[in-house]
Amino acid sequence: MSLLGGGIFKGMAVTLRNFVGSYFDKERLTTKEYAWRTDGKLPERAGDYPKEEAEQLSDTTTVTHYSRNFPMLLHDEGEPMDTVRCVACQICERECPPQCIYIEKSKDKKERGGNKAQFYPATFDIDVSVCMSCQICVEVCPFDAIVMNSQFELSTPDRFGGLLLRRDDLLKSNDYYHKIHPEEAAARDKRIADEKAAKEAKKKAAEEAKKKAAEAKAKAEAEAKAKEEAESAEKPAEAPAPTHTDAKKEDNGE
Amino acid sequence: MNWELIGDILLATVPLLVIFPSMFALTTWVERKALARIQNRIGPNKVGVPLTPYGGKLSLFGLGQPAADGIKMLFKENIVPTGADRLFHLLAPILSLIPAMLVLCFLPLEFPWLNGEQNSVKAFMLDGAVIFFFAITGLNTLAVFMAGWASRNKYSLLGGMRAIAQMVSYEIPLVLSAVVVVMIVGSLNAAEIAEAQAGWNWYVFQPWGLAAFVIFFIAALAETNRSPFDLPEAESEIIAGYFTEYSGFKFALFFLGEYIAMFAISGLAVTLFLGAGGGPGVEALPWLKVIWFLAKVCILIGVMIWLRGTLPRLRVDQLMGFAWKFLLPLSILNIFIAGFAWHAKNTNEGTAVSVIVWVAALIILYAAAKGLDRVNRAKVKPRTYQYGE
Repeated sequence: MSLLGGGIFKGMAVTLRNFVGSYFDKERLTTKEYAWRTDGKLPERAGDYPKEEAEQLSDTTTVTHYSRNFPMLLHDEGEPMDTVRCVACQICERECPPQCIYIEKSKDKKERGGNKAQFYPATFDIDVSVCMSCQICVEVCPFDAIVMNSQFELSTPDRFGGLLLRRDDLLKSNDYYHKIHPEEAAARDKRIADEKAAKEAKKKAAEEAKKKAAEAKAKAEAEAKAKEEAESAEKPAEAPAPTHTDAKKEDNGE
Repeated sequence: MNWELIGDILLATVPLLVIFPSMFALTTWVERKALARIQNRIGPNKVGVPLTPYGGKLSLFGLGQPAADGIKMLFKENIVPTGADRLFHLLAPILSLIPAMLVLCFLPLEFPWLNGEQNSVKAFMLDGAVIFFFAITGLNTLAVFMAGWASRNKYSLLGGMRAIAQMVSYEIPLVLSAVVVVMIVGSLNAAEIAEAQAGWNWYVFQPWGLAAFVIFFIAALAETNRSPFDLPEAESEIIAGYFTEYSGFKFALFFLGEYIAMFAISGLAVTLFLGAGGGPGVEALPWLKVIWFLAKVCILIGVMIWLRGTLPRLRVDQLMGFAWKFLLPLSILNIFIAGFAWHAKNTNEGTAVSVIVWVAALIILYAAAKGLDRVNRAKVKPRTYQYGE
């Protein structure tokens, strides 16, 4: 026979233990204290942070590797706009549920990373006041060009211009991506490499198959020609079998 | 013009208007801190002395937070939805604050500067104080429903309806548990009730007093819309209930009214069951009575915060069932037990009788509560899932 209302006391004991314990055991505190600006000034625009880039990166990496905030555009090693992966296909723009992405396609095409010449984004804006961090743009991108950033230091006194991230704010290197999301980036790179290898293997196979098919075709043609010549010498060709009766039989299930 | 009377009234009321709102400000900070610590967080710890850069050394555990909240609330935009009833939308928060403030007058707070001979004290020490208390706090229901109705919002209206159902239901066990003390003391005057408990003769030490105190406290939680009975403002279900369409200072008034009501009802619980201003050293230093009274109120508020951090919200049917099937029968039984116990004590001499009565009353009350619990539970079938599992 349990005490009436004993569950309440049990629960209150648990919360009391947490209350007292959190003052003595620092390990209990699940939240980390926020890194405050030391100069006491307000940020001028999104991402404005008076620290060195390395320190800023360390702030971004204080959050877990699985954290995501707003999208960024990936570029490979080299000048950002020479190696940007985005080809301005505008799939993400169309799929974005709150429609916070605005893309303008370039007029000319540019060759990047040994691929054939493609368009590049002349404008690529993300309004982070609208973005809901759903990651759908990342999932639909066929070029692995857009991934989630984990930078959270985005407060700004200008709520319209300051929260509209321009193309150059969004461009981040693949190395940076590896630093903030190591597992995800490694998996993505592996997948890209695998896909590339598979594509090349397929291409090779297709070429070989084409070659083989061409050879076989030539051979078959030669054989058929020889046979025809032989048959025409013996007797006239038979009339083709009526195909519609066959189809009917199949319909009846016989 | 009776200047003396006006002076006395000011001496009696201004302290109330200073003490309780400042306690409210402090309580919001304490509540946020305590809930944070219960959840292993730190809580507000940045806002300290104004006009120093944040992250400075003068953060004082975030004690500036109530001031910052107040300033923020004052400067926020006042939004009234299109189609809302503007007059009642404005009146509702005011009406929720006034009764809560009004009933503070009837708490037997014996300020040292009022020596009991003055007119004002007699004016406030109404003979029907307890009844007046319940009559006026009942107005709060009206304010809540007015807010829900005037907002022209489905969630607000749902919150208002829930509030009405809840407050009307819990008012009955609340009043019935207070009746016990009124019956024993034979007076509705708060000062007389406080006097009857002088010298550690608190009613919470009696079995019927303990039962009445527990019932009163639970019903008080429901009356003030505190967790786990915060259904009228259940965030996860109906946004913020009747608060939904309130912003800026109107919201602050509602907030203030709710906390002042908490203080008022805790004050009444202290008066009825916890010996009002009684405590160690009051015979020698009468001004300690105010300190003890406020300390007891603070302890009750602390328990309310603790419960809020512990218990999940009830379902609507559980809430109603608890009031009508458990608290109501138990509080009616408690009135009889208290009557018999009092009668047995008055007609018989000797400690042996009083000990036997004490133990018997406790056993009967506990058995009755346990039995009611079992009867209520028997009707609850284990939940079955059609598609889950």
